[in-house]
Amino acid sequence: MINFEEELKKFHPSLEVEDAEEAIYNQDMTDMADILVKMIKETEVKTKKEKKPDEVQ
Amino acid sequence: MFCYNCGCHLSEKDFCTGCGADVSLYKRIMHVSNMYYNEGLEKAHVRDLSGALVSLRQSLKFNKNNIEARNLLGLVYFEMGEVVAALSEWVISKNLSPDKNIADDYIGKVQSNASRLESVNQTIKKFNQALVYCMQDSKDLAMIQLKKVLSLNPKFVQAHQLLSLLYMDKEDWERAERELKKCIDIDRNNIQTLRYMKEVERMLMPDEAVRQPARRRKEEAVRYQSDNEMIIQPLSVKEPKRSGIATLLNIAIGIAIGFGAVYFLAVPSAQSEIRNQMQQDIIKISNESDGKTVRIQELEGNIAELNNRITGLNQEIEGFAGENGILKMMENLQNTAAAYLESGDEQAAADGLELISQNVVVEEMSEGFQSLYRGLFGSIGPNLSATYYTEGSDKYKTGDFAEAVELFNRAIYYDGGNVEALYSLGRTYEKMEDAENAIAAYDRLLEQFPDSQRARTAKRYRDALATGQ
Repeated sequence: MINFEEELKKFHPSLEVEDAEEAIYNQDMTDMADILVKMIKETEVKTKKEKKPDEVQ
Repeated sequence: MFCYNCGCHLSEKDFCTGCGADVSLYKRIMHVSNMYYNEGLEKAHVRDLSGALVSLRQSLKFNKNNIEARNLLGLVYFEMGEVVAALSEWVISKNLSPDKNIADDYIGKVQSNASRLESVNQTIKKFNQALVYCMQDSKDLAMIQLKKVLSLNPKFVQAHQLLSLLYMDKEDWERAERELKKCIDIDRNNIQTLRYMKEVERMLMPDEAVRQPARRRKEEAVRYQSDNEMIIQPLSVKEPKRSGIATLLNIAIGIAIGFGAVYFLAVPSAQSEIRNQMQQDIIKISNESDGKTVRIQELEGNIAELNNRITGLNQEIEGFAGENGILKMMENLQNTAAAYLESGDEQAAADGLELISQNVVVEEMSEGFQSLYRGLFGSIGPNLSATYYTEGSDKYKTGDFAEAVELFNRAIYYDGGNVEALYSLGRTYEKMEDAENAIAAYDRLLEQFPDSQRARTAKRYRDALATGQ
């Protein structure tokens, strides 16, 4: 049985034209590719740091 | 596909031929993104818009630069009536890839028609308003708003769903079903729509129990094979005996059933159409009536305001031309001045001036009036002041201090420079043991006539009073 009040909670106000700019700015644009690239770069930095003491010795 | 590290075009190898970076994982991410895009495209082709929405969002989570996926996501939003969400996706797409981007055309098409864009915005605002009405339990108002929304934007899936939910709440299952069918025409696989549809069908479907005997009756038939054909002979059906009367009776029954069908099918639909028409007329008339009521209230407000203004103006006229009005007082002043010039009766002139000063504020009158008033006052003032001073002194001597105070005050009123009257006033108060007023009179004298002969004496008395000696 459908409960009207419960169902009503599933509806959300639609975006108005005035809010479009804010919605675009607030959109989280981070994707998996960004995360991967970041992880690779962090790993590279870590590897370099680990290697440096060996070079001194 | 380009290398994330150097931007070089990637080959089929798992490393970049330009910089040597390991791109196997990166390539896999790009492939997953494309796979989701393809899935979204297929779903969109079969009008599974909500499914396409999920796949395309997934695709963008893997690769935000998947322009085709983003543009298609915008199109799906647009098709579902979410114009602003569609525009947002296209704007982002245009921003990520400014050249040769179809999103440019989409944005152009939407923005080229300003009135259409405004209408879209109004639609969204009305939908949001309807949602607010629902929250406030004003369901009828919400339904009216949603009908308006759908007349402007028939593809707005959320609005269809909300309207069907309202119909379901009203237990108007047929209308709810109609709205849900429209939803399904736009978006075939929307879970919310399908859930509502299931509920509506459950309510509309006749009881299972009614159907069971019919099915059993069908089974009550004799089946046998004759050559290659399967013969099914129902047991309950009997061959009718054909006769002329029976045929005529059948025709009559057929005609009756025909009329019955017309009566029961066509008439209710016509009635419902008329009812709908009348309902629309009522809504229209009620809207007009509301508008007129507002106008009447506005006009009544204007009338009240005008009546107030008339009352104010009447009072103003009364102030000018009434018994004690300004015009009358001007005439009195002229008469007083003329009588004084003719008879030289200072007391009569003083009475006239006092009457005028009681009815008008001299400082607010015209320059000419003030000039005549002050001229006359200046002419009679010193003499009257001297007379009142003399009378006051007599009363002082006889011990009638209250009368003396009154007369000294009058003497000061008619001649502010009468030092003796002011001094005598202070002395009289002193005799009356009214130290406060006595000090006030001495202070006034000291302030106005500090160099006069009486000033020194007044100061002495004042100090004595102040120290309580």
